[in-house]
Amino acid sequence: MTASAKRKTVLGVVLCADPAREECFHVAQLDSEMQKFESGMSEEARRERLHRHMNNEMGALEIAAQCLADFPEAPWELRLQLARQAFDESRHVRALYQRLLQLGGYKGEFPIGNFEWAVTNMCDTLAARLAIQNRTFEAGQMDLLGALRQIWRSVGDETTAEVLEHILADEINHVRFANQWIRKMIQSDRRLLLKVASAVRVLAETNAALSEEPGPSSGETSAQQHTKIGINVEDRRHADFSDDEINEILRQAGMSSLVA
Amino acid sequence: MGLILREKAEYLATFRWLEVFLMETLARWVPTTPEMEVKVLMGRHIWDAAQHADALGKRTFELRAPLHYTLTPLPPYLHTMQELSRVEDTPGRIQAIYDTIVPGFAARYQRYLQNSDSLLDEPSFRVIEGILHDYARMRKESEELRSELRETLVFDADRAQGWSRQESAVAEIVSHGSGSTLAREMIA
Repeated sequence: MTASAKRKTVLGVVLCADPAREECFHVAQLDSEMQKFESGMSEEARRERLHRHMNNEMGALEIAAQCLADFPEAPWELRLQLARQAFDESRHVRALYQRLLQLGGYKGEFPIGNFEWAVTNMCDTLAARLAIQNRTFEAGQMDLLGALRQIWRSVGDETTAEVLEHILADEINHVRFANQWIRKMIQSDRRLLLKVASAVRVLAETNAALSEEPGPSSGETSAQQHTKIGINVEDRRHADFSDDEINEILRQAGMSSLVA
Repeated sequence: MGLILREKAEYLATFRWLEVFLMETLARWVPTTPEMEVKVLMGRHIWDAAQHADALGKRTFELRAPLHYTLTPLPPYLHTMQELSRVEDTPGRIQAIYDTIVPGFAARYQRYLQNSDSLLDEPSFRVIEGILHDYARMRKESEELRSELRETLVFDADRAQGWSRQESAVAEIVSHGSGSTLAREMIA
């Protein structure tokens, strides 16, 4: 059985079982189990941010790798892009781990979650996985990184800000190739559009089901969270989102006034 | 006498299978290997193997075979590779890749260079020399990793030597006369 075929159930939602992790890590199943801080940029909070990001990059590496394993018949040029993504994500893990160590942190210092892996691998087509992981999660990370690099700079940590700048540059490429290939795949097989739409709906339902758990982050929709960090319009353009798509994202995030 | 053109294409198509196998094996192992540093190492080398497969696949086309033509190796070698791809423990996986598969492939590339000609087949030489250079770096990186994780991972040298003996015992891996280089003409 491949890693993407194993299942777990969280609050009644069936998801892909977690990828392998070392015993030093505590794997959280809900956002409420993650550590949160009153002061967003205290020394401990900074380490938690790096630790969480490091694990997210590890998840992105695992998802790209699993796509290569699960879809051997995919076009070779797309497989090359996924292989490149695996290389990029592995460098991101390494860079963030190095920075974590420099700031006195260590592996397993904070809980981690594998939500992206758990949701993405429920999709049985490559187009849907690209839509969820690259076009949704990684594009969301582009928005987040657009804001975060400035936050790190504002507390005088130019080194971490520069790490994030490089990660952002790579993520744009990952989102771009996914956007281009999803369009190409749908053009050659219109039924894939239904698969992609269904995957996006399942993601929204899963988010809603898991956020019912009472916790510090409950009561805030992803649109509200997105409003806080803003939409990285410039990099979304670089990543080959059309103007119509960007406008739709701005509307969903409650920023209709910014839409021309 | 060295290899004729059709045989060269068959070798390169088989080498391409080896590189895709390496890429896919690493890709399957990344999510199922617990150690973060090992995932990172394997993730890096997925891209190396993919680039090797790409370069070999473009070269097969130049030798009048289809673009990205790929030939499965002969059954004894195929079975050896399949057996190695079933290793489950982390030290075994590291040894399977970096002590058995990569050096084994390198020896086969070297034999190809000895049997081909560096003038008429120079583009293949360039591709293979690049692969061998990458292999040296990949093995060096695996050594650095082993040194980093020496307190947590225990390696069984005898097992790795056994695998290497098994790998090198298969002399011929290429299925000749498969018609690979004629495939383009047949398609046309």
